[in-house]
Amino acid sequence: MTSGPAEIFDLGYHGYEGERTGRWARRGAIWRDGIRISLGLGRGVGAKVAPWLLLGLALVPMVVLVVVAAFVGPATNPDDFELPSYGDYYEWAMVPLALFAAVVAPLLICPDRRDGVLSLYAARPITPLDYVGARWAAFGTVLLGAAWAPEAVLFVWNALDAEQPGTFLADNWDVVPRFLAAGAVVSAVLTTLALFVSSFATRRAYATVAMLAVVFIGSAIGGIAENDFSGGGADAVSLVSLPQSLVDSVHWIFGDELDRPVSGGVALLWLLGLTVVLAGWLVRRTNRLVRG
Amino acid sequence: MALLRAHELTKTFGSVRALDGVSFEIDEGITGLLGSNGAGKSTSLKLFLGLLDPDSGSAEVLGRDARSSSEVRTRVGYAPEHDCLPRNVSAAEFLAYMARISGLPSTAARLRASDVLRHVGLFEERYRQMGTYSTGMKQRVKLAQALVHDPVIAFLDEPTAGLDPLGRREMLELIRRVGGDFGISIVISTHLMGDVERACDSVVVLDAGRLLRTGAVSGFTEETETLEVELLEGADAVAEGLRRRGLAPALDGRRLTLEAVTGDDYDTLRDVIVDAGGVLYRLAPARHSLADVFTREPAQTSEAEAAP
Repeated sequence: MTSGPAEIFDLGYHGYEGERTGRWARRGAIWRDGIRISLGLGRGVGAKVAPWLLLGLALVPMVVLVVVAAFVGPATNPDDFELPSYGDYYEWAMVPLALFAAVVAPLLICPDRRDGVLSLYAARPITPLDYVGARWAAFGTVLLGAAWAPEAVLFVWNALDAEQPGTFLADNWDVVPRFLAAGAVVSAVLTTLALFVSSFATRRAYATVAMLAVVFIGSAIGGIAENDFSGGGADAVSLVSLPQSLVDSVHWIFGDELDRPVSGGVALLWLLGLTVVLAGWLVRRTNRLVRG
Repeated sequence: MALLRAHELTKTFGSVRALDGVSFEIDEGITGLLGSNGAGKSTSLKLFLGLLDPDSGSAEVLGRDARSSSEVRTRVGYAPEHDCLPRNVSAAEFLAYMARISGLPSTAARLRASDVLRHVGLFEERYRQMGTYSTGMKQRVKLAQALVHDPVIAFLDEPTAGLDPLGRREMLELIRRVGGDFGISIVISTHLMGDVERACDSVVVLDAGRLLRTGAVSGFTEETETLEVELLEGADAVAEGLRRRGLAPALDGRRLTLEAVTGDDYDTLRDVIVDAGGVLYRLAPARHSLADVFTREPAQTSEAEAAP
Protein backbone atom coordinates (compact mmCIF):
# COMPACT_ATOMS: atom_id res chain seq x y z
CA MET A 1 0.00 0.00 0.00
CA THR A 2 1.15 3.49 -0.70
CA SER A 3 1.58 5.74 2.30
CA GLY A 4 1.58 9.12 0.54
CA PRO A 5 -1.44 11.35 0.12
CA ALA A 6 -3.93 10.47 -2.57
CA GLU A 7 -3.61 12.28 -5.88
CA ILE A 8 -6.00 12.78 -8.72
CA PHE A 9 -4.27 12.77 -12.09
CA ASP A 10 -5.73 14.81 -14.92
CA LEU A 11 -5.70 12.42 -17.86
CA GLY A 12 -7.50 14.81 -20.16
CA TYR A 13 -5.92 16.17 -23.28
CA HIS A 14 -3.14 18.69 -22.83
CA GLY A 15 -1.81 20.74 -25.68
CA TYR A 16 1.92 21.16 -26.18
CA GLU A 17 3.20 24.51 -24.99
CA GLY A 18 6.94 23.82 -24.89
CA GLU A 19 9.61 24.95 -27.29
CA ARG A 20 9.57 23.92 -30.93
CA THR A 21 12.78 23.01 -32.68
CA GLY A 22 14.16 24.57 -35.83
CA ARG A 23 14.77 23.18 -39.26
CA TRP A 24 18.18 21.69 -38.50
CA ALA A 25 16.79 19.71 -35.58
CA ARG A 26 14.05 18.36 -37.84
CA ARG A 27 16.66 17.38 -40.42
CA GLY A 28 18.62 15.79 -37.58
CA ALA A 29 15.60 13.67 -36.68
CA ILE A 30 15.45 12.29 -40.22
CA TRP A 31 19.22 11.74 -40.16
CA ARG A 32 19.03 9.78 -36.89
CA ASP A 33 16.17 7.71 -38.25
CA GLY A 34 18.28 6.97 -41.33
CA ILE A 35 21.19 5.84 -39.16
CA ARG A 36 18.88 3.52 -37.20
CA ILE A 37 17.46 2.05 -40.39
CA SER A 38 20.94 1.59 -41.89
CA LEU A 39 22.14 -0.34 -38.85
CA GLY A 40 18.86 -2.11 -38.12
CA LEU A 41 18.60 -0.45 -34.69
CA GLY A 42 15.19 -0.69 -33.05
CA ARG A 43 14.21 -3.38 -35.52
CA GLY A 44 14.18 -7.16 -35.41
CA VAL A 45 17.24 -9.38 -35.57
CA GLY A 46 16.67 -10.00 -39.27
CA ALA A 47 17.13 -6.31 -40.03
CA LYS A 48 20.50 -6.31 -38.33
CA VAL A 49 22.07 -9.31 -40.06
CA ALA A 50 22.87 -7.84 -43.47
CA PRO A 51 24.25 -4.46 -42.38
CA TRP A 52 26.41 -5.78 -39.57
CA LEU A 53 27.67 -8.73 -41.62
CA LEU A 54 28.71 -6.49 -44.50
CA LEU A 55 30.19 -3.83 -42.24
CA GLY A 56 32.06 -6.62 -40.46
CA LEU A 57 33.41 -7.89 -43.77
CA ALA A 58 34.77 -4.41 -44.48
CA LEU A 59 36.33 -3.93 -41.06
CA VAL A 60 37.24 -7.30 -39.57
CA PRO A 61 39.90 -8.35 -42.11
CA MET A 62 41.97 -5.28 -41.26
CA VAL A 63 41.61 -5.99 -37.56
CA VAL A 64 42.65 -9.61 -38.14
CA LEU A 65 45.65 -8.54 -40.19
CA VAL A 66 46.75 -6.11 -37.51
CA VAL A 67 46.34 -8.76 -34.80
CA VAL A 68 48.33 -11.20 -36.91
CA ALA A 69 50.97 -8.55 -37.44
CA ALA A 70 51.09 -7.92 -33.70
CA PHE A 71 51.44 -11.53 -32.62
CA VAL A 72 52.93 -13.36 -35.58
CA GLY A 73 54.70 -10.61 -37.45
CA PRO A 74 57.70 -10.25 -35.11
CA ALA A 75 58.46 -13.96 -35.41
CA THR A 76 58.45 -13.98 -39.19
CA ASN A 77 60.59 -12.54 -41.88
CA PRO A 78 59.29 -9.05 -42.75
CA ASP A 79 59.29 -10.07 -46.40
CA ASP A 80 56.85 -12.89 -45.73
CA PHE A 81 54.18 -10.82 -44.01
CA GLU A 82 53.29 -7.32 -44.91
CA LEU A 83 50.21 -5.30 -44.03
CA PRO A 84 48.32 -3.85 -47.00
CA SER A 85 48.78 -0.20 -47.89
CA TYR A 86 45.97 2.26 -47.25
CA GLY A 87 45.05 2.21 -50.92
CA ASP A 88 45.41 -1.55 -51.33
CA TYR A 89 42.90 -2.25 -48.58
CA TYR A 90 40.13 -0.67 -50.66
CA GLU A 91 40.68 -3.36 -53.31
CA TRP A 92 39.25 -5.76 -50.74
CA ALA A 93 36.88 -3.46 -48.90
CA MET A 94 35.21 -2.16 -52.04
CA VAL A 95 33.22 -5.39 -52.42
CA PRO A 96 31.52 -5.40 -48.97
CA LEU A 97 31.05 -1.63 -49.10
CA ALA A 98 29.34 -1.82 -52.50
CA LEU A 99 27.23 -4.75 -51.30
CA PHE A 100 26.32 -2.81 -48.17
CA ALA A 101 25.19 0.10 -50.34
CA ALA A 102 23.19 -2.21 -52.62
CA VAL A 103 21.49 -4.12 -49.81
CA VAL A 104 20.93 -1.47 -47.14
CA ALA A 105 20.53 1.89 -48.90
CA PRO A 106 17.18 0.91 -50.48
CA LEU A 107 15.77 0.58 -46.95
CA LEU A 108 16.03 4.33 -46.53
CA ILE A 109 13.76 5.17 -49.45
CA CYS A 110 11.86 2.17 -50.85
CA PRO A 111 9.65 1.42 -47.77
CA ASP A 112 8.68 5.09 -47.52
CA ARG A 113 7.46 4.93 -51.12
CA ARG A 114 5.85 1.51 -50.81
CA ASP A 115 3.98 2.31 -47.60
CA GLY A 116 2.91 5.80 -48.69
CA VAL A 117 4.84 7.54 -45.90
CA LEU A 118 6.13 10.19 -48.31
CA SER A 119 2.75 11.93 -48.16
CA LEU A 120 3.25 12.41 -44.43
CA TYR A 121 6.69 13.93 -44.95
CA ALA A 122 5.07 16.26 -47.50
CA ALA A 123 2.70 17.59 -44.84
CA ARG A 124 5.47 18.22 -42.30
CA PRO A 125 7.52 21.39 -41.92
CA ILE A 126 10.36 20.03 -44.02
CA THR A 127 11.14 20.22 -47.72
CA PRO A 128 11.81 17.29 -50.05
CA LEU A 129 15.44 18.43 -50.08
CA ASP A 130 15.53 18.18 -46.27
CA TYR A 131 14.22 14.64 -46.50
CA VAL A 132 16.52 13.29 -49.17
CA GLY A 133 19.49 15.30 -47.91
CA ALA A 134 19.11 13.89 -44.41
CA ARG A 135 18.66 10.37 -45.75
CA TRP A 136 21.77 10.83 -47.91
CA ALA A 137 23.75 12.15 -44.96
CA ALA A 138 22.59 9.26 -42.75
CA PHE A 139 23.65 6.51 -45.10
CA GLY A 140 26.78 8.41 -46.03
CA THR A 141 27.70 8.67 -42.36
CA VAL A 142 27.44 4.93 -41.84
CA LEU A 143 29.37 4.21 -45.02
CA LEU A 144 31.96 6.80 -44.08
CA GLY A 145 32.46 5.10 -40.74
CA ALA A 146 32.85 1.75 -42.46
CA ALA A 147 35.40 3.20 -44.87
CA TRP A 148 37.39 5.12 -42.29
CA ALA A 149 37.48 2.58 -39.49
CA PRO A 150 39.86 0.03 -41.09
CA GLU A 151 42.15 2.82 -42.30
CA ALA A 152 42.18 4.32 -38.83
CA VAL A 153 43.03 0.90 -37.34
CA LEU A 154 45.90 0.53 -39.80
CA PHE A 155 47.20 4.02 -39.12
CA VAL A 156 47.09 3.58 -35.36
CA TRP A 157 48.82 0.23 -35.60
CA ASN A 158 51.54 1.64 -37.87
CA ALA A 159 52.10 4.43 -35.37
CA LEU A 160 52.24 2.05 -32.42
CA ASP A 161 54.48 -0.38 -34.28
CA ALA A 162 56.96 2.31 -35.26
CA GLU A 163 60.18 2.53 -33.29
CA GLN A 164 59.37 6.14 -32.52
CA PRO A 165 55.63 6.84 -32.81
CA GLY A 166 56.16 10.58 -32.54
CA THR A 167 58.51 10.59 -35.49
CA PHE A 168 56.12 8.36 -37.42
CA LEU A 169 53.26 10.80 -36.87
CA ALA A 170 55.42 13.75 -37.88
CA ASP A 171 56.53 11.98 -41.06
CA ASN A 172 53.12 10.54 -41.98
CA TRP A 173 50.61 13.17 -40.86
CA ASP A 174 49.46 13.59 -44.46
CA VAL A 175 48.06 10.06 -44.44
CA VAL A 176 45.19 11.19 -42.23
CA PRO A 177 43.66 13.75 -44.62
CA ARG A 178 44.27 11.32 -47.45
CA PHE A 179 42.36 8.46 -45.87
CA LEU A 180 39.64 10.84 -44.75
CA ALA A 181 39.31 12.12 -48.32
CA ALA A 182 39.43 8.61 -49.80
CA GLY A 183 36.66 7.43 -47.47
CA ALA A 184 34.60 10.51 -48.25
CA VAL A 185 34.86 9.89 -51.99
CA VAL A 186 33.93 6.21 -51.68
CA SER A 187 31.05 7.05 -49.34
CA ALA A 188 29.69 9.91 -51.46
CA VAL A 189 29.79 7.95 -54.72
CA LEU A 190 28.25 4.73 -53.37
CA THR A 191 25.62 6.56 -51.29
CA THR A 192 24.49 8.76 -54.16
CA LEU A 193 24.39 5.92 -56.66
CA ALA A 194 22.54 3.57 -54.30
CA LEU A 195 19.92 6.13 -53.26
CA PHE A 196 19.46 7.26 -56.85
CA VAL A 197 18.79 3.69 -58.00
CA SER A 198 16.53 3.11 -54.98
CA SER A 199 14.38 6.11 -55.84
CA PHE A 200 13.10 4.22 -58.88
CA ALA A 201 11.83 1.21 -56.94
CA THR A 202 9.18 0.66 -54.33
CA ARG A 203 10.58 -2.73 -53.38
CA ARG A 204 13.94 -3.08 -51.76
CA ALA A 205 14.78 -6.28 -53.66
CA TYR A 206 14.35 -4.57 -57.04
CA ALA A 207 16.58 -1.70 -55.97
CA THR A 208 19.24 -4.08 -54.69
CA VAL A 209 19.25 -6.09 -57.93
CA ALA A 210 19.36 -2.88 -59.99
CA MET A 211 22.28 -1.52 -57.96
CA LEU A 212 24.19 -4.78 -58.26
CA ALA A 213 23.48 -4.82 -61.99
CA VAL A 214 24.88 -1.31 -62.37
CA VAL A 215 28.03 -2.29 -60.46
CA PHE A 216 28.64 -5.71 -61.98
CA ILE A 217 27.61 -4.97 -65.56
CA GLY A 218 29.65 -1.78 -65.41
CA SER A 219 32.62 -3.75 -64.11
CA ALA A 220 32.26 -6.32 -66.86
CA ILE A 221 32.06 -3.69 -69.59
CA GLY A 222 34.94 -1.73 -68.10
CA GLY A 223 37.03 -4.88 -67.76
CA ILE A 224 36.41 -5.90 -71.37
CA ALA A 225 37.22 -2.40 -72.61
CA GLU A 226 40.43 -2.34 -70.61
CA ASN A 227 41.67 -5.84 -71.42
CA ASP A 228 40.50 -6.43 -74.97
CA PHE A 229 40.64 -3.00 -76.59
CA SER A 230 43.00 -0.10 -76.72
CA GLY A 231 42.84 3.58 -77.49
CA GLY A 232 41.18 6.59 -75.94
CA GLY A 233 37.65 5.30 -76.48
CA ALA A 234 38.36 2.04 -74.71
CA ASP A 235 40.06 3.90 -71.88
CA ALA A 236 37.02 6.12 -71.47
CA VAL A 237 34.66 3.13 -71.48
CA SER A 238 36.77 1.44 -68.81
CA LEU A 239 35.64 4.17 -66.42
CA VAL A 240 32.13 2.69 -66.27
CA SER A 241 33.58 0.07 -63.94
CA LEU A 242 32.69 2.05 -60.85
CA PRO A 243 34.50 -0.16 -58.29
CA GLN A 244 37.68 -0.03 -60.34
CA SER A 245 37.34 3.72 -60.86
CA LEU A 246 36.87 4.13 -57.12
CA VAL A 247 39.94 2.04 -56.34
CA ASP A 248 41.97 4.02 -58.89
CA SER A 249 40.77 7.27 -57.33
CA VAL A 250 41.70 6.09 -53.87
CA HIS A 251 45.20 5.10 -55.01
CA TRP A 252 45.56 8.50 -56.63
CA ILE A 253 44.52 10.21 -53.40
CA PHE A 254 47.18 8.23 -51.50
CA GLY A 255 49.75 9.10 -54.16
CA ASP A 256 50.24 5.49 -55.27
CA GLU A 257 51.68 5.13 -58.74
CA LEU A 258 49.85 2.50 -60.75
CA ASP A 259 49.99 1.48 -64.36
CA ARG A 260 46.39 2.16 -65.32
CA PRO A 261 44.91 3.15 -68.70
CA VAL A 262 43.25 6.18 -67.13
CA SER A 263 44.90 8.16 -64.35
CA GLY A 264 43.32 8.05 -60.91
CA GLY A 265 42.84 11.80 -61.04
CA VAL A 266 40.72 11.52 -64.16
CA ALA A 267 38.74 8.67 -62.58
CA LEU A 268 38.16 10.85 -59.53
CA LEU A 269 36.89 13.74 -61.64
CA TRP A 270 34.58 11.39 -63.53
CA LEU A 271 33.19 9.97 -60.30
CA LEU A 272 32.66 13.38 -58.74
CA GLY A 273 30.92 14.63 -61.89
CA LEU A 274 28.73 11.55 -61.99
CA THR A 275 27.89 11.99 -58.31
CA VAL A 276 26.86 15.60 -58.77
CA VAL A 277 24.63 14.74 -61.73
CA LEU A 278 22.99 11.80 -59.94
CA ALA A 279 22.53 13.86 -56.76
CA GLY A 280 20.77 16.61 -58.73
CA TRP A 281 18.59 14.03 -60.44
CA LEU A 282 17.83 12.39 -57.08
CA VAL A 283 16.73 15.70 -55.58
CA ARG A 284 14.45 16.47 -58.54
CA ARG A 285 12.96 12.99 -58.42
CA THR A 286 12.40 13.13 -54.67
CA ASN A 287 10.73 16.50 -55.05
CA ARG A 288 8.26 14.96 -57.48
CA LEU A 289 7.73 11.83 -55.38
CA VAL A 290 7.15 13.69 -52.13
CA ARG A 291 4.76 16.24 -53.59
CA GLY A 292 2.85 13.43 -55.31
CA MET B 1 -9.65 35.36 -37.98
CA ALA B 2 -10.39 32.49 -40.34
CA LEU B 3 -8.02 29.54 -40.01
CA LEU B 4 -8.17 28.83 -43.73
CA ARG B 5 -9.02 31.20 -46.53
CA ALA B 6 -9.33 30.34 -50.20
CA HIS B 7 -9.61 33.36 -52.46
CA GLU B 8 -10.50 32.93 -56.14
CA LEU B 9 -8.55 29.67 -56.06
CA THR B 10 -8.04 28.10 -59.47
CA LYS B 11 -6.03 25.02 -60.31
CA THR B 12 -5.93 23.07 -63.56
CA PHE B 13 -4.22 19.81 -64.43
CA GLY B 14 -3.81 19.74 -68.19
CA SER B 15 -7.27 20.25 -69.61
CA VAL B 16 -9.00 19.41 -66.32
CA ARG B 17 -10.00 22.37 -64.14
CA ALA B 18 -9.87 20.92 -60.63
CA LEU B 19 -10.80 24.21 -58.93
CA ASP B 20 -12.43 27.11 -60.67
CA GLY B 21 -12.20 30.43 -58.84
CA VAL B 22 -13.29 29.03 -55.48
CA SER B 23 -13.53 31.33 -52.45
CA PHE B 24 -14.40 30.27 -48.93
CA GLU B 25 -13.25 30.59 -45.35
CA ILE B 26 -12.97 27.97 -42.64
CA ASP B 27 -13.15 28.98 -38.99
CA GLU B 28 -12.51 27.08 -35.79
CA GLY B 29 -14.44 23.87 -35.20
CA ILE B 30 -15.04 20.83 -37.35
CA THR B 31 -15.65 21.50 -41.01
CA GLY B 32 -16.61 19.05 -43.70
CA LEU B 33 -15.19 19.50 -47.18
CA LEU B 34 -17.91 17.65 -49.02
CA GLY B 35 -18.08 16.60 -52.63
CA SER B 36 -18.06 13.67 -54.98
CA ASN B 37 -14.92 12.29 -56.62
CA GLY B 38 -13.30 14.98 -58.76
CA ALA B 39 -15.06 17.78 -56.89
CA GLY B 40 -11.72 19.35 -55.93
CA LYS B 41 -11.45 18.28 -52.30
CA SER B 42 -7.99 16.70 -52.47
CA THR B 43 -6.70 19.54 -54.65
CA SER B 44 -7.94 22.01 -52.04
CA LEU B 45 -6.14 20.13 -49.26
CA LYS B 46 -2.90 20.01 -51.26
CA LEU B 47 -3.15 23.72 -51.94
CA PHE B 48 -3.64 24.43 -48.24
CA LEU B 49 -0.70 22.17 -47.41
CA GLY B 50 1.43 24.10 -49.88
CA LEU B 51 2.10 21.04 -52.00
CA LEU B 52 0.63 22.59 -55.13
CA ASP B 53 0.89 26.06 -56.63
CA PRO B 54 -2.44 27.62 -57.58
CA ASP B 55 -2.80 28.86 -61.15
CA SER B 56 -4.43 31.95 -59.69
CA GLY B 57 -5.87 33.05 -56.40
CA SER B 58 -4.47 32.26 -52.99
CA ALA B 59 -4.73 29.67 -50.22
CA GLU B 60 -4.00 31.03 -46.76
CA VAL B 61 -3.40 28.97 -43.64
CA LEU B 62 -3.42 30.75 -40.27
CA GLY B 63 -3.12 34.05 -42.05
CA ARG B 64 -0.09 33.06 -44.14
CA ASP B 65 0.18 32.05 -47.74
CA ALA B 66 0.41 28.27 -47.79
CA ARG B 67 3.30 28.37 -50.28
CA SER B 68 5.31 31.03 -48.49
CA SER B 69 7.06 28.76 -46.01
CA SER B 70 7.01 25.19 -44.79
CA GLU B 71 7.07 26.58 -41.23
CA VAL B 72 3.29 26.99 -41.25
CA ARG B 73 3.08 23.20 -41.32
CA THR B 74 4.40 23.05 -37.74
CA ARG B 75 0.82 23.94 -36.78
CA VAL B 76 -1.00 21.81 -39.35
CA GLY B 77 -1.75 18.09 -39.24
CA TYR B 78 -2.67 15.82 -42.12
CA ALA B 79 -3.99 12.29 -42.39
CA PRO B 80 -4.24 11.07 -45.98
CA GLU B 81 -6.89 8.70 -47.25
CA HIS B 82 -4.51 6.03 -48.47
CA ASP B 83 -2.24 3.78 -46.40
CA CYS B 84 0.68 5.78 -45.06
CA LEU B 85 2.02 3.76 -42.14
CA PRO B 86 5.28 1.79 -42.20
CA ARG B 87 4.60 -1.85 -41.41
CA ASN B 88 7.64 -2.85 -39.39
CA VAL B 89 7.65 0.04 -36.92
CA SER B 90 5.67 0.40 -33.70
CA ALA B 91 3.05 3.14 -33.42
CA ALA B 92 4.89 4.70 -30.46
CA GLU B 93 8.17 4.93 -32.35
CA PHE B 94 6.51 6.21 -35.50
CA LEU B 95 4.53 8.91 -33.74
CA ALA B 96 7.56 10.08 -31.78
CA TYR B 97 9.45 10.35 -35.06
CA MET B 98 6.63 12.27 -36.73
CA ALA B 99 6.55 14.62 -33.74
CA ARG B 100 10.30 15.22 -33.96
CA ILE B 101 10.21 16.10 -37.65
CA SER B 102 7.30 18.40 -36.87
CA GLY B 103 9.41 20.39 -34.43
CA LEU B 104 9.09 18.76 -31.01
CA PRO B 105 12.22 17.95 -28.95
CA SER B 106 12.93 14.24 -28.46
CA THR B 107 11.66 13.84 -24.91
CA ALA B 108 8.49 15.81 -25.56
CA ALA B 109 7.96 13.85 -28.76
CA ARG B 110 8.02 10.51 -26.92
CA LEU B 111 5.66 11.75 -24.23
CA ARG B 112 3.26 13.26 -26.75
CA ALA B 113 3.31 10.05 -28.79
CA SER B 114 2.21 7.96 -25.83
CA ASP B 115 -0.32 10.54 -24.72
CA VAL B 116 -1.98 10.88 -28.11
CA LEU B 117 -2.05 7.11 -28.59
CA ARG B 118 -3.84 6.84 -25.25
CA HIS B 119 -6.41 9.37 -26.36
CA VAL B 120 -7.16 7.47 -29.57
CA GLY B 121 -7.44 4.20 -27.65
CA LEU B 122 -4.20 2.52 -28.71
CA PHE B 123 -2.12 2.84 -25.56
CA GLU B 124 -1.98 -0.89 -24.90
CA GLU B 125 -1.04 -1.65 -28.49
CA ARG B 126 1.51 1.11 -28.96
CA TYR B 127 4.58 -1.12 -29.10
CA ARG B 128 3.14 -3.51 -31.67
CA GLN B 129 4.36 -3.25 -35.24
CA MET B 130 1.74 -1.41 -37.26
CA GLY B 131 1.72 -4.06 -39.97
CA THR B 132 -0.29 -6.21 -37.54
CA TYR B 133 -2.99 -3.56 -36.94
CA SER B 134 -6.59 -3.79 -38.13
CA THR B 135 -8.02 -1.17 -40.50
CA GLY B 136 -9.71 0.63 -37.62
CA MET B 137 -6.48 0.76 -35.61
CA LYS B 138 -4.58 2.09 -38.61
CA GLN B 139 -7.16 4.85 -39.06
CA ARG B 140 -6.65 5.79 -35.43
CA VAL B 141 -2.88 5.90 -35.84
CA LYS B 142 -3.34 8.07 -38.93
CA LEU B 143 -5.43 10.43 -36.83
CA ALA B 144 -2.91 10.29 -33.97
CA GLN B 145 0.06 11.18 -36.18
CA ALA B 146 -1.88 14.18 -37.45
CA LEU B 147 -2.36 15.37 -33.86
CA VAL B 148 0.93 14.38 -32.24
CA HIS B 149 2.58 17.79 -32.70
CA ASP B 150 -0.50 19.58 -31.33
CA PRO B 151 -1.54 21.38 -34.50
CA VAL B 152 -4.01 24.23 -34.65
CA ILE B 153 -5.82 22.55 -37.51
CA ALA B 154 -5.75 19.03 -38.93
CA PHE B 155 -6.86 17.84 -42.36
CA LEU B 156 -8.40 14.37 -42.41
CA ASP B 157 -8.92 12.88 -45.85
CA GLU B 158 -11.78 10.34 -45.79
CA PRO B 159 -11.15 9.34 -42.15
CA THR B 160 -13.86 6.66 -42.13
CA ALA B 161 -12.77 4.93 -45.33
CA GLY B 162 -12.80 1.16 -44.97
CA LEU B 163 -14.45 1.14 -41.54
CA ASP B 164 -17.48 -0.94 -40.61
CA PRO B 165 -20.52 0.93 -39.19
CA LEU B 166 -19.36 0.58 -35.59
CA GLY B 167 -15.82 1.65 -36.41
CA ARG B 168 -17.16 4.56 -38.41
CA ARG B 169 -19.30 5.73 -35.51
CA GLU B 170 -16.37 5.45 -33.10
CA MET B 171 -14.09 7.36 -35.45
CA LEU B 172 -16.63 10.17 -35.85
CA GLU B 173 -17.06 10.35 -32.07
CA LEU B 174 -13.29 10.55 -31.73
CA ILE B 175 -13.19 13.37 -34.25
CA ARG B 176 -15.90 15.18 -32.30
CA ARG B 177 -13.75 14.83 -29.18
CA VAL B 178 -10.68 16.15 -30.96
CA GLY B 179 -12.61 19.16 -32.19
CA GLY B 180 -14.26 19.70 -28.82
CA ASP B 181 -12.12 18.55 -25.89
CA PHE B 182 -8.75 18.86 -27.63
CA GLY B 183 -9.53 22.23 -29.17
CA ILE B 184 -7.96 21.25 -32.47
CA SER B 185 -9.91 22.39 -35.49
CA ILE B 186 -10.57 19.70 -38.04
CA VAL B 187 -11.26 19.70 -41.76
CA ILE B 188 -12.74 16.43 -42.98
CA SER B 189 -12.58 15.79 -46.69
CA THR B 190 -15.29 13.29 -47.52
CA HIS B 191 -17.94 12.29 -50.00
CA LEU B 192 -20.13 10.85 -47.22
CA MET B 193 -22.90 13.27 -46.25
CA GLY B 194 -23.68 11.20 -43.17
CA ASP B 195 -20.18 11.77 -41.81
CA VAL B 196 -20.57 15.51 -42.21
CA GLU B 197 -24.02 15.54 -40.61
CA ARG B 198 -22.78 13.52 -37.64
CA ALA B 199 -19.42 15.11 -36.98
CA CYS B 200 -19.19 18.58 -38.49
CA ASP B 201 -20.20 22.03 -37.34
CA SER B 202 -19.95 23.56 -40.79
CA VAL B 203 -19.58 22.40 -44.35
CA VAL B 204 -18.04 23.53 -47.61
CA VAL B 205 -19.66 21.77 -50.55
CA LEU B 206 -17.68 21.49 -53.77
CA ASP B 207 -18.97 20.18 -57.06
CA ALA B 208 -16.84 19.82 -60.20
CA GLY B 209 -14.33 22.37 -58.97
CA ARG B 210 -16.90 24.99 -58.02
CA LEU B 211 -18.22 26.07 -54.66
CA LEU B 212 -21.76 24.83 -54.29
CA ARG B 213 -22.55 25.93 -50.76
CA THR B 214 -20.93 26.78 -47.48
CA GLY B 215 -22.36 27.31 -44.03
CA ALA B 216 -23.30 25.72 -40.73
CA VAL B 217 -24.43 22.10 -40.96
CA SER B 218 -27.39 22.93 -38.73
CA GLY B 219 -28.52 25.35 -41.41
CA PHE B 220 -28.70 22.55 -43.92
CA THR B 221 -30.53 20.14 -41.63
CA GLU B 222 -33.04 22.50 -40.06
CA GLU B 223 -36.66 21.53 -39.59
CA THR B 224 -39.11 22.13 -42.42
CA GLU B 225 -42.84 22.88 -42.32
CA THR B 226 -43.52 19.39 -43.56
CA LEU B 227 -44.87 16.93 -40.99
CA GLU B 228 -44.04 13.26 -41.27
CA VAL B 229 -46.46 10.78 -39.70
CA GLU B 230 -45.85 7.05 -39.56
CA LEU B 231 -48.66 4.71 -38.47
CA LEU B 232 -48.54 1.03 -37.65
CA GLU B 233 -52.24 0.61 -38.48
CA GLY B 234 -55.02 2.66 -40.12
CA ALA B 235 -52.93 4.85 -42.41
CA ASP B 236 -55.54 4.78 -45.17
CA ALA B 237 -58.39 5.72 -42.81
CA VAL B 238 -56.37 8.55 -41.28
CA ALA B 239 -55.51 9.92 -44.71
CA GLU B 240 -59.17 9.82 -45.69
CA GLY B 241 -60.18 11.54 -42.43
CA LEU B 242 -57.63 14.30 -42.99
CA ARG B 243 -58.90 14.91 -46.51
CA ARG B 244 -62.45 15.24 -45.14
CA ARG B 245 -61.12 17.89 -42.73
CA GLY B 246 -59.67 19.89 -45.62
CA LEU B 247 -56.03 18.78 -45.41
CA ALA B 248 -54.08 17.22 -48.28
CA PRO B 249 -51.90 14.39 -46.97
CA ALA B 250 -49.59 12.42 -49.25
CA LEU B 251 -49.80 8.72 -48.50
CA ASP B 252 -46.85 6.38 -49.04
CA GLY B 253 -47.58 2.99 -47.47
CA ARG B 254 -47.79 3.55 -43.73
CA ARG B 255 -46.28 6.99 -44.04
CA LEU B 256 -48.15 10.28 -44.38
CA THR B 257 -46.68 13.69 -45.09
CA LEU B 258 -48.45 16.98 -44.59
CA GLU B 259 -47.09 20.17 -46.12
CA ALA B 260 -47.21 23.60 -44.48
CA VAL B 261 -48.74 22.46 -41.21
CA THR B 262 -49.95 24.93 -38.56
CA GLY B 263 -50.59 24.51 -34.86
CA ASP B 264 -54.30 23.72 -35.46
CA ASP B 265 -53.36 20.96 -37.89
CA TYR B 266 -51.69 19.04 -35.05
CA ASP B 267 -55.01 19.02 -33.14
CA THR B 268 -56.86 17.94 -36.26
CA LEU B 269 -54.38 15.13 -36.85
CA ARG B 270 -54.72 13.92 -33.25
CA ASP B 271 -58.51 13.84 -33.52
CA VAL B 272 -58.49 12.06 -36.86
CA ILE B 273 -56.10 9.37 -35.64
CA VAL B 274 -58.31 8.73 -32.61
CA ASP B 275 -61.50 8.66 -34.66
CA ALA B 276 -60.03 6.37 -37.32
CA GLY B 277 -58.47 4.00 -34.78
CA GLY B 278 -54.99 4.55 -36.16
CA VAL B 279 -51.89 3.39 -34.25
CA LEU B 280 -49.32 6.17 -34.26
CA TYR B 281 -45.67 5.09 -34.49
CA ARG B 282 -43.83 8.34 -35.25
CA LEU B 283 -44.68 12.01 -35.71
CA ALA B 284 -42.02 14.60 -36.42
CA PRO B 285 -41.26 17.60 -38.58
CA ALA B 286 -39.21 16.65 -41.63
CA ARG B 287 -35.64 17.98 -41.78
CA HIS B 288 -33.59 19.13 -44.69
CA SER B 289 -30.66 16.91 -45.48
CA LEU B 290 -27.29 17.72 -46.97
CA ALA B 291 -28.40 15.68 -49.97
CA ASP B 292 -30.81 18.51 -50.76
CA VAL B 293 -27.80 20.72 -51.44
CA PHE B 294 -27.09 18.81 -54.60
CA THR B 295 -30.68 19.02 -55.81
CA ARG B 296 -31.29 22.70 -55.11
CA GLU B 297 -30.18 25.54 -57.27
CA PRO B 298 -26.36 25.61 -57.33
CA ALA B 299 -23.98 28.34 -56.17
CA GLN B 300 -26.07 29.32 -53.18
CA THR B 301 -24.32 30.22 -50.01
CA SER B 302 -25.86 30.33 -46.61
CA GLU B 303 -26.11 33.86 -45.38
CA ALA B 304 -24.67 33.07 -41.99
CA GLU B 305 -21.24 32.05 -43.24
CA ALA B 306 -21.05 33.37 -46.74
CA ALA B 307 -17.60 33.42 -48.25
CA PRO B 308 -16.20 36.79 -49.26
